[in-house]
Parts: sequence; C-alpha cells; structure tokens
Amino acid sequence: MKKVFDTQNLSLFYGKNQALKNINLSIFEKSVTALIGPSGCGKSTFLRTLNRMNDLIPDVSIQGGVWFGDISIYDQKTDVIDIRKRIGMVFQKPNPFPMSIYDNVAYGPRCQRNYSKKEMDALVKEALVKSALYEEVKDRLQRSALELSGGQQQRLCIARALAMNPEVLLMDEPTSALDPIATAKIEELIVELKKNYTIVIVTHSMQQAARISDQTAFFLLGDLIEVEETKTFFATPKDPRSESYITGRFG
Amino acid sequence: MSKFSFRYVIDALLQGITFLFSSISFLTLGAILVFVFNQGWSLVNIDLIRYPYESTTILGAPLEDQNEFCLCEPNITLDPEVFYSNKWGVGFSQGQDLLGQATVQLAYIHPNSPISSLTNKGIEGNEFVLLPEYLIQKISYNDRSTSLARRGVERMINELESSNSIYEIEVITKGGGIGGSIITTLWLIGLTLIIAIPIGVGAALYLNEYAKHSQFANAIRSFIETLTGVPSIIFGLLGVAIFIPLTVATTNATGGNLISGALTLSVILLPIVIRTTEESLKVVPMDYRNASLALGASRTQTTFKVVIPNALPGILAAVLLGIGRIVGESAALIFAIGSIVRDEITLTDKSTSLAVHIYSMMTDEPANIELSSTIAIIILAIVLVLNLLIKFISSKIMKGKLGGVI
Repeated sequence: MKKVFDTQNLSLFYGKNQALKNINLSIFEKSVTALIGPSGCGKSTFLRTLNRMNDLIPDVSIQGGVWFGDISIYDQKTDVIDIRKRIGMVFQKPNPFPMSIYDNVAYGPRCQRNYSKKEMDALVKEALVKSALYEEVKDRLQRSALELSGGQQQRLCIARALAMNPEVLLMDEPTSALDPIATAKIEELIVELKKNYTIVIVTHSMQQAARISDQTAFFLLGDLIEVEETKTFFATPKDPRSESYITGRFG
Repeated sequence: MSKFSFRYVIDALLQGITFLFSSISFLTLGAILVFVFNQGWSLVNIDLIRYPYESTTILGAPLEDQNEFCLCEPNITLDPEVFYSNKWGVGFSQGQDLLGQATVQLAYIHPNSPISSLTNKGIEGNEFVLLPEYLIQKISYNDRSTSLARRGVERMINELESSNSIYEIEVITKGGGIGGSIITTLWLIGLTLIIAIPIGVGAALYLNEYAKHSQFANAIRSFIETLTGVPSIIFGLLGVAIFIPLTVATTNATGGNLISGALTLSVILLPIVIRTTEESLKVVPMDYRNASLALGASRTQTTFKVVIPNALPGILAAVLLGIGRIVGESAALIFAIGSIVRDEITLTDKSTSLAVHIYSMMTDEPANIELSSTIAIIILAIVLVLNLLIKFISSKIMKGKLGGVI
C-alpha cells in the first residue's frame, strides 16, 4: 500500500511543554487510521500537525519531518493553502458556518476560484450525495445550516470538506458530540468514504476504532506506544500499556 | 432556627437595596425626560424647521400708486383674537417672541389691501410682499405718532385705523429656526461615520485577527483604553491645532468648518469603534476560523467572508454608539467648528450641531431653557429614528446572512 503520510522523529512543543515525542508513523492510502489514547496524550495535536492547523496556536515549535507524499509539510516553501486544499478536516464539534446549507458546501471551492452556477450546483450536489445528506436536505438547500440536527450538521461539515475534493480527511473526534444513531450514520459514512479517501480519525471510543479502522495508533503522554493493524492491535497488543488501556484499566 | 431567620433578614436587606437603587436610577432617568418634554414640548412645531435661524428686519414704505384704502371685509373667518382694520385690510394678532417680549404678528392680509406690497427701503430697494407670518415691529405715519409693537396689538390697530397715511412699516421675518443645525448634525453623523467606522474596524481587525498576542497590540489596547477616558475638549484642542489648519490649507475654508468638526469627532469615535468592534470579533467562534482555514481559505478570505459577517451586529452596535457620541458631543465641537448658528450649510463653512445650538441658546442673555429643551426633544427624536433604522437594517442583514435564523 502507498504511504500518504510519513512522520520522521516528529516532536512538537507548546512553549517548553513537549506534546509529541519522536513520532514515527506511516498512514496508508484509502484506509482508516484511528488515533486513540487518553485525553491529553497528543493524538489531536498529532492530527493537527498533518494539515498545519497548529500554526494558528502561538508558541508552537516543531522538530522532525512530516511527509505528505513527496511534499515536506513543514518546509518553508510549502504552500499551506495547497496542503489544506488536499487535506480536508472535520472537527469535534459540528461547526457549519451561519449561512445556508448550499453556501456552506460552496464555501471552500468559492475561496479558490469563481465557478459558474451550474458547475457549483453540480459540485454541491455531489458533495452532499457523498456525505449521505443530499436526500435529507435537497428541498432546503437555501435554508440556514444551523437549522439542521447535530448529526446532519456534522455530515454537512464532511460534505463541506469533500467539496474541495481532498485526498485525505482528518477527523478530530467527529462523533463525540453526537447521539448513538447519528454516530452510527457517520461511521457508516466513514467506511463508505474509505473507498476513495484516506481517513485519519481521532477517537475516544475504542469500540469505534475497532469497528471502522484498518490501522490503530495508540498514544500516551506524547509518545506513540504502538501502531498496528486494528484487528491485531485489539486482539494481541504487544505493549503492556496498550493492553491495560484497551482492557480499561486506565484512560 | 435563629440562624435561618438571620439569613432571611440579610436576603431581604440586599434585595431591598437592589430595588431601591434601581428605582432611583429609573426615576432619575425618567425625570430628565419629563423635564425636557415639560419644558420643550410647547415649542415643538414645524416652524422650527420651516423658518431660518436669522430673522431680518425690513423697512417698507407703501407703493406710491396704491395709496387708497381697502375698506373691505376679510374674505375668510378670522380668529376672535385677530384685530382687523378694514380701512387697511390687515389683521394683527398678539404674540410673544422667544424672549417673552410682546410682538404683533400679521395674521391676515386682504388681497386688495393698499399695503399688501411695500417698497423695501433697504439697500436693494425692491418691492416685497407682506406675508402673514411677519412680525410688525412698528408703523409710523405721516399724520400721527408712531405705533410700537410693545404697546400691544389693540392699540396698534386703533392707531392704524385712525391714520390716513402710512409713512413706513418695520417688519421682522420669523427666525429662531433650527433647520441649519439639524442639517449640520446629520452631515456630521454621516461624515464622521464614513471616516471613523472603516478605520476603526480596520484597526480592530488588525488587533484581533493579526496581532492578537503581540506586545505591540497590548500596548495599543491599553493606549486606546486610556483615550476613551480623555475629556472630549482635549480632542477639540487637537481639532483646532491640526484639523482646522489642515482644512484651511486644503479647502476654501477660513476657520472652523464642518469637515474639521467631522475629523475631530472621528478621532473621538475611534477608540469606541475599535473597542466595540474588537469585542464583537472576539465572540466570533474560533471554530469558524478553523473551519474556514482548514478548507483552504486564506487568512484574508477567512476574515472577510466569515469573521466580519459574524461580527456585523457588533459593528452596527459601534455605529449606534458612534451616533450617540456624535449627537451628544458639544465641547470639542465648540472648538472644532464653532458655535455660530447658520442657515445655509456648506462643508467648508462654520455652522453648528444641535448640541452646540443648545449651548448657544443657554449662553444667551437670558438663557432660553424652553427652546433648549425643544432642541433636546428633537435630538432625542433623531437618535431614536437612526437607532430604529439601524436595527431594522441589521435585522435585514442578519436574515440574509443566516438564512432566516436569529
């Protein structure tokens, strides 16, 4: 399988606080990689290094390399906008813009160039179909996105990211604010999207990781403890810390 | 048990104090309104806008070819208070001017009256028409002694009736209007907002979006906070020292003018606009910015497409505060424009806002509290109308932006 991301001795500091310690992790094309670990273990921080969202936080310094294909993400010459166009992101809390459903999906493409109405209509429809939301909202595309339920809002955020036609989707605990039914729908969607996209998902739920991911990476206090194919990881964890975490002895 | 009741006493006491203080504040604010309306309501009149501020005195003499008597009855029914002379075809009524002096107002003039048109004895020397709103100051005759307005209308009409030949009539056009000051105030509001809002919003965007945590931004912030506490008369000095010379050098202005006033007000407004806007930018959720950036939007696109639309209510609040400040400002404007009341408003000439108009009225001898209160009512009305207008606009904008929510 082709590597999409490859990190080499990646360390990240918030001021003097080291949040990531020498992480070496490969993420493969058209698969789901789950990042698990207790709160504060650095899994979200790691996710945010992949599309440089940590740039927004003052006082962050990074050592080591993050490779996206053959692009070095933290190279001075790398265009961060280009990176983010190719790597979509979905956040923990559904955060649609206070605009219409249509405008939410069209937002990303519109920032890049002008589209004709026909092109844009097709693009919006495609993204909503891919995120399994189209049937529910097709009659009210011009209504506010804030009228949607939490689960629908989260799928709208996925559609918004898909409208940019990215190669990768980063998901930061996308179901933690949702009820079980909405969660199931999103999980179903993730499995479906895996066919065309590489997905990296941070999750608090080990069941979720076991259900949907192909590869699981376990973080603890900034260290990457273990990375393994999901089935193997949950069946026979190599590291005793992984074992105590998945058996629920801490975390 | 005793502990329990003690708590009730404390609660009742604190609640009582809260209610007492809140009622004191409501009563005080209500009392101001009552005072202003009580004093000024009687003078609220369309004439305030219809007539210019300046009243002019015209000396008129009868036209030579029309010196016959009218001897006519009025063709409309006159008020019982109007005294009518059918020899001359004019009706006078008793009035009182803004200073409380007795005046005689021309209430009615018959079309055939020999004095319906007079020759202006002033420099121009034109013919002019007596209008039923003029005040008659005095009438002098060829065959008897002069009648004066302050001796009352009844005596004047009797003397007029008993005379056969008028020598001259002194009339005063109605003045005291505040139309000029209203226009100046509206100009000031418009110009100042046009200057201060974009600059202030720009500064707030810089502080909150680009330089949020820098030392420089923090220094600027505390500097701005200091400026909000500076008395406005100091800004007035700035206007005199910088903006008046600037406008004199660049326009045909010769002293304080509307533009220098608007510039001075803009400086007063800036700290308020920056702070209010920054507060509204702060409450735009970080999630929106993150989502926009993660979608490959640039920082500028994020600012203009997501942050500013969401901060619009706050920016409009800044506009509202600004209008209040502009309308209410007087000390700085006395310096930066001057306190001369004008009727013809040009941007490069002296004129005065309504607040300074009140100042001029109150520095007159004697102070004119009634008219000042009337102006206060008009200021209240202007502010109220503008506030409602902006709230209306903002609700329209919000509807369009949020697709019906909020």
